[in-house]
Amino acid sequence: MNSPERLGRRAAACRLIPIVSVLVPGLAPGLLLVALTLPLLALTRPLLAAPSDAPPAVTGITAADRWGDGGTAVVLEWTVAAGAVPEFFMIERAMSEAEVAGDLATARLERRRAAQRTAMQAVLADRGLDDSILARPMAIEPGLASRLRSVRAEAAAGIDALPDDAFDVARWMFVDRVEADAAQTEYRFVVDRLVRGESYRFRVIPWTGTAAGTPAEAAPVTTTLEPVDISRLWFFGIALVFCGAVVAFILIARSGRPLRVRRIAGLEAIDEAVGRATEMGRSVLFVPGIQDMNEMQTIAGITVLSRVAKTAAEYDARVEVPTARSLVMTTARETVQAAFLAAGRPDAYNEDLIYYVTDEQFGYVAYLSGMMVREKPAACIYMGMFYAESLILAETGNSIGAIQVAGTAQPAQLPFFVAACDYTLIGEEFFAASAYLSGSAEELGSLKGQDVGKIIVAVVLVIGVVLATAGAMAGADSDLGRTLAAWVGFLRDTVLA
Amino acid sequence: MTRIEPEKVTVILATDCGSTTTKAILIQRVEGVYRQTHRGEAPTTVEEPFANVTIGVINSVTEIGELAGRRLVDGNGRIIQPARTGPDGPEGCDLYISTSSAGGGLQMMVAGVVREMTAASAKRAALGAGAIVMDTIASNDRRRPYEQIQRIRELRPDMILVSGGTDGGDVKKVVEIAELIGPARPQPRFGGEYRMPVIFAGNRDAASLVAKAFEDEPIDLKVVDNLRPVLERENLGPARDAIHDMFLEHVMAHAPGYDILMNWTDAPIMPTPGAVGNILRTIAERQGINAVGVDIGGATTDVFSVFDGTFNRTVSANLGMSYSISNVCAEATMANVLRWVHFDMDERELRNRVKNKMIRPTTIPQSLEALVFEQAVAREALRLAYQQHKEFATTLKGVQQQRTVGDTFSQQTSGQTIVDNMKLDLLVASGGVLSHAPRMQQTALMLIDAFEPEGFTTLAKDSIFMMPHLGVLAEVHPQASLEVFERDCLIYLGTCVAAKGAGKAGRTCFRYEVTGETLRESGEITCGDLKLLPLGPGESATVTVEPARGFDLGNGPGKRVARSVRGGTVGLLLDGRGRPLVLPESRNECRAAMARWLSAVSMYPDRELHAVGGADRRRG
Amino acid sequence: MAKAYTPGLKVTGRTVHRCRRILPIRGEVLVAQGDRVEADTPVARTFLPGDVMPVNMANLLGVPPADVHGCMLRKEGERVRRDDAIAQTRGIFGMMRRTVKSPHGGTIETISDVTGQLILRGEPIPVEVRAYLSGTVAQVLPGEGVVVEAEITLIQGIFGVGGERSGRVVLAVKDPSQELVADMITPDMKGCVVVGGGRVWHEAVAKAMKVGAAAVVAGGIDDQDLREILGYDLGVAITGSESIPTTVIVTEGFGDIAMADRTWQLLRARAGSLASVNGATQIRAGVMRPEILIPVTPDAVLPEFDRRWPEGQLEPGRPVRIIRDPHFGLIGAVSALPPEPRILDSESKARVLEVTFDSGEKVIIPRANVELIEA
Repeated sequence: MNSPERLGRRAAACRLIPIVSVLVPGLAPGLLLVALTLPLLALTRPLLAAPSDAPPAVTGITAADRWGDGGTAVVLEWTVAAGAVPEFFMIERAMSEAEVAGDLATARLERRRAAQRTAMQAVLADRGLDDSILARPMAIEPGLASRLRSVRAEAAAGIDALPDDAFDVARWMFVDRVEADAAQTEYRFVVDRLVRGESYRFRVIPWTGTAAGTPAEAAPVTTTLEPVDISRLWFFGIALVFCGAVVAFILIARSGRPLRVRRIAGLEAIDEAVGRATEMGRSVLFVPGIQDMNEMQTIAGITVLSRVAKTAAEYDARVEVPTARSLVMTTARETVQAAFLAAGRPDAYNEDLIYYVTDEQFGYVAYLSGMMVREKPAACIYMGMFYAESLILAETGNSIGAIQVAGTAQPAQLPFFVAACDYTLIGEEFFAASAYLSGSAEELGSLKGQDVGKIIVAVVLVIGVVLATAGAMAGADSDLGRTLAAWVGFLRDTVLA
Repeated sequence: MTRIEPEKVTVILATDCGSTTTKAILIQRVEGVYRQTHRGEAPTTVEEPFANVTIGVINSVTEIGELAGRRLVDGNGRIIQPARTGPDGPEGCDLYISTSSAGGGLQMMVAGVVREMTAASAKRAALGAGAIVMDTIASNDRRRPYEQIQRIRELRPDMILVSGGTDGGDVKKVVEIAELIGPARPQPRFGGEYRMPVIFAGNRDAASLVAKAFEDEPIDLKVVDNLRPVLERENLGPARDAIHDMFLEHVMAHAPGYDILMNWTDAPIMPTPGAVGNILRTIAERQGINAVGVDIGGATTDVFSVFDGTFNRTVSANLGMSYSISNVCAEATMANVLRWVHFDMDERELRNRVKNKMIRPTTIPQSLEALVFEQAVAREALRLAYQQHKEFATTLKGVQQQRTVGDTFSQQTSGQTIVDNMKLDLLVASGGVLSHAPRMQQTALMLIDAFEPEGFTTLAKDSIFMMPHLGVLAEVHPQASLEVFERDCLIYLGTCVAAKGAGKAGRTCFRYEVTGETLRESGEITCGDLKLLPLGPGESATVTVEPARGFDLGNGPGKRVARSVRGGTVGLLLDGRGRPLVLPESRNECRAAMARWLSAVSMYPDRELHAVGGADRRRG
Repeated sequence: MAKAYTPGLKVTGRTVHRCRRILPIRGEVLVAQGDRVEADTPVARTFLPGDVMPVNMANLLGVPPADVHGCMLRKEGERVRRDDAIAQTRGIFGMMRRTVKSPHGGTIETISDVTGQLILRGEPIPVEVRAYLSGTVAQVLPGEGVVVEAEITLIQGIFGVGGERSGRVVLAVKDPSQELVADMITPDMKGCVVVGGGRVWHEAVAKAMKVGAAAVVAGGIDDQDLREILGYDLGVAITGSESIPTTVIVTEGFGDIAMADRTWQLLRARAGSLASVNGATQIRAGVMRPEILIPVTPDAVLPEFDRRWPEGQLEPGRPVRIIRDPHFGLIGAVSALPPEPRILDSESKARVLEVTFDSGEKVIIPRANVELIEA
């Protein structure tokens, strides 16, 4: 049987696990401290307690699979007679065959090593040597070496012959300790982190001081997987709120109630840019980034292109779209043609203005820069994924006096665009563009719905930070601190996970 | 036209042929300075059965002559020139000038490539020249070309202004527009026989091609400098001058009776609004101020503004007090009109009255109730017209912006309005309902309610709508024009001090201290308060105001402002009603608030007003 | 000054009236001077140029604008039908030619070298002008139209909606103050000019439209009724082009007003005659009032009216109508014309006159608020 001390150490190691994933780095040391202190307290307690009579027996113990989870927990319930309550209960789990076998093998191995060493020391002592020679194998004369080999084999065989009983291997494993309360006779404890589909046996041992009572064992229980994991109901709730908001806003938008979307200057400016090109008799240059159609930003860029093309069709302006990927070219052609058709000017559509240049990043950029300097487009629009070329393009465009509108979700390139372009769509704005431009109920509704989700997340984050800070201020080992830490954990692991 | 020797001019006669009335004023040199001495008016006679503008002119001049005791018209119905002493006393005048907006004024159609850019500049040029812009054709006006052609045919404008393209810019679109106008063969409004005047003020590279497009059509083309040589700059002067020339050459020469009138005048006849703009621009330049002028007429409301030296004019074609009164009520909604009325009015009866005013536009309100209602309509007409003006008076569109990283989250678009009520220094009112209001307070409050000036704003009215006359006079005799303007034209109503911001009723809005020779007072204005302090004409005082948090009087929210203010026939108005001005939603509360404000400035005579409604049957 | 100029509406029993009937553009005049014409006789005819349809040939062919001329299969001035091939590119060695078909039927008017645009003009639209007034052709304006002259009873209304119509005059009410309601409209009024007395209700107009009446004439109309008839709130008083089958004319104004006695007597005297009516009203720039023109024969018996007043002059004793509240619609005689302006109830200062009603009651009215009743 394991002593409480030894089991306590194991438990301490277990409790360290969640600490690793603490989200708020500043609080980690505090929480670590809490985690380390608690088991230490638990360790010292039984040693300090005065010896007393044997604790009363535990009765009516049951173990049942917890309903509504992924088959990872068992609920233990037991009672004690009123007025005869022990100091605490020790919960233990029967180790499985495999665990026992493993422990047994380890014990056998240790015992064998000890026996071999003893046997070899005896042989060496006969020759007047000590065992330090074992570290220098070349110094051992051949006769002695073979002698040593044989005594080692003998000692091993002797241990191997021993039955399993000869080894003191624990059959029960410490799970947790439950403090008893004098006023409470019925107890309930949840053992979690179990493996689904395994059969488990549990027992509860009442303790008073250093005296253990009779263990009470529950009938074996098998963990099972239920269709619903109720611990994840929160998830369901949150998903419901998020999706509900989207659906609700879509319905509102469909009912004709206007949904206000903040003015995005960059998109308003498209009319102006195309107008400028029209008045100056020059073209509009549209660059959809240097990535392929699998990139979200390219798709967002093409959405904006459709708007640019529609405006250009209305103004009868030329839109030139050189692309760095063939697939982007095809998509852009389709989009522009559809836009010209929608504007009622299918005759004004010219396929040759949308063409493929090269996949090479700088080959493409060199082409664009050259073209901009030669043809001086009146408006340059950059919408998509950009890397090092952002500033080259934007600066060239600026130097030829074009109105420039850029949009990208690449944080590193945004400052360049903002500084060199007239208008810039920043990150999220870029993705919201399609909803903004189309004005369709579905897109506007989901834009608004997502905003609600973002607001909720932001609020939860703020609450979490406030709670975590309050917890740290209250002190990690105060009750309040522990409660707050539990709440923070809940928000982090359940709500935001 | 004779040569004018300014020093010999002692009597000046000026007429303005409006669409309903012809107004004449007489300016005489009295003790060395020019003063406006008499005025007279008569119905305009451009339409059938008279179809001769000079009849109305002679009628108004006869009236002025009777009043002045001076014979101005001879037995043949001609204006006597020069001034002399005749057998029956003094007779004649030295200088005769006229403006005209009769027959609907100068009606133009403008065209440009992009509606917000060259077409907008063309519209500005036309409006600035005093025209009414009937329609704007642009390649992006969402009309199919044949619809545009249809429109050109229907409208029958007096003149067309075509612009488009920067110099060296687009040619194709500009020629396309010309190719639309050509085959449409637009018919001029007066008579079918003369050639439609078209002014081209676009890309100079396109001029010859445009001329070619018009070659075979009955069109008289005049090419002037591009009004938008680059997108960053407007050059409206040449186009404006060309409009004036064409107006005289073509339009005036064909309007009934104008050929005679043109021979009488000593200076070219100007479109009335052009003349008003002229004089307003001159004042704003001379005094270095921002000014807004408004002229509310029967059919249209003109708003003129000069902000930081930029002149803008808009004509709200269907906002007026007689012909268009019904449209004001329809556009503003009756509920919005009635919020300015402090007693009970029945909507059905009012609607009939509005329509009756529309079909008999010359009537004037006889009862006080009718006056209150008319002034309520005026507020809405002015408010809507000013709103349209703000939307039109913007910075240029299509201009490249210079940015820094600091602009990341505040990317301002171009085309923002340049009208800023906080920067407004002078607000001039003219037009019947404003200048003929029985009490000056009525004019002042109508202006404040409709324009919502912020900070310190001087209010004035054109005493007898003399601005058009003086605008023309400024061209031939600037000295006389400015002397009369300063002495007789503007009647200063006073100064409005209004805080920008909103607050709960009863909270402090701002504290004030007034120190002047005649007025020394200090106190506090709470939100929702309106206070009138007496500060007579010619007087001035220093006003120091300390706005409460969230209120701005010119130096930023909560910052102290001290300024010298001008008194007037109304006085100093301290307005704590907040900007934008929001009236209570509930009809009863609104009525109570209105009644409080009206009595604070003693707007109307203090007597009970009868609810309007319950039509009783009348016999004809 | 004892006289003042105040224009009013014409309501006259016998006058020579001339009507200009002009084509929108030059065309052909179908009658000669001195010809006798009826209201529905066509007097002039022309063809309006068809709708213009620009076709962007340069883009459709994929060639620069300057090359469009070279690719054309049909010349300027030629007539084409829809789907006719009108242009073709030269292609490469005669291969891969692109052909453009005409999107509409019409005449090729111009082909631009600058824009590559082809202007296609659709079929001409015939336009015919009818005499409108039964009378004689007094003057022929060659290529433009004619002037029709007739001696007529002329009644100008104050406001109307709907265009030119003609029909027999029928009285639907017994006295000039009786309201015109739906029940008074009967199927035999089809094609007639129905005369009501006081206010006309929108139900009555609806019924008149249903039976096919040419026009309804009444003293007054409520704004709400007008809105029901038109389906929208009239903003600016420029009317005549409404698409309603029955023209509506009111002679006095909006509200509950009876028809002026003089108008009523004339219409009653002329009941049964053929009338030409037009609801077109334009109060701004080129005043137009709705009119009822009834050709009159020399032997027709007409009510006698006082004819001693010169046109357009206000003089003591002259009958006037008050055209603004608080006495809106009342008719009286001028009893005094004080020359100096007076202060009104509204505190406005205006020149006024004194009106005496039949009852002997005297009121002071601003001169602007009265209207002469013209002989």
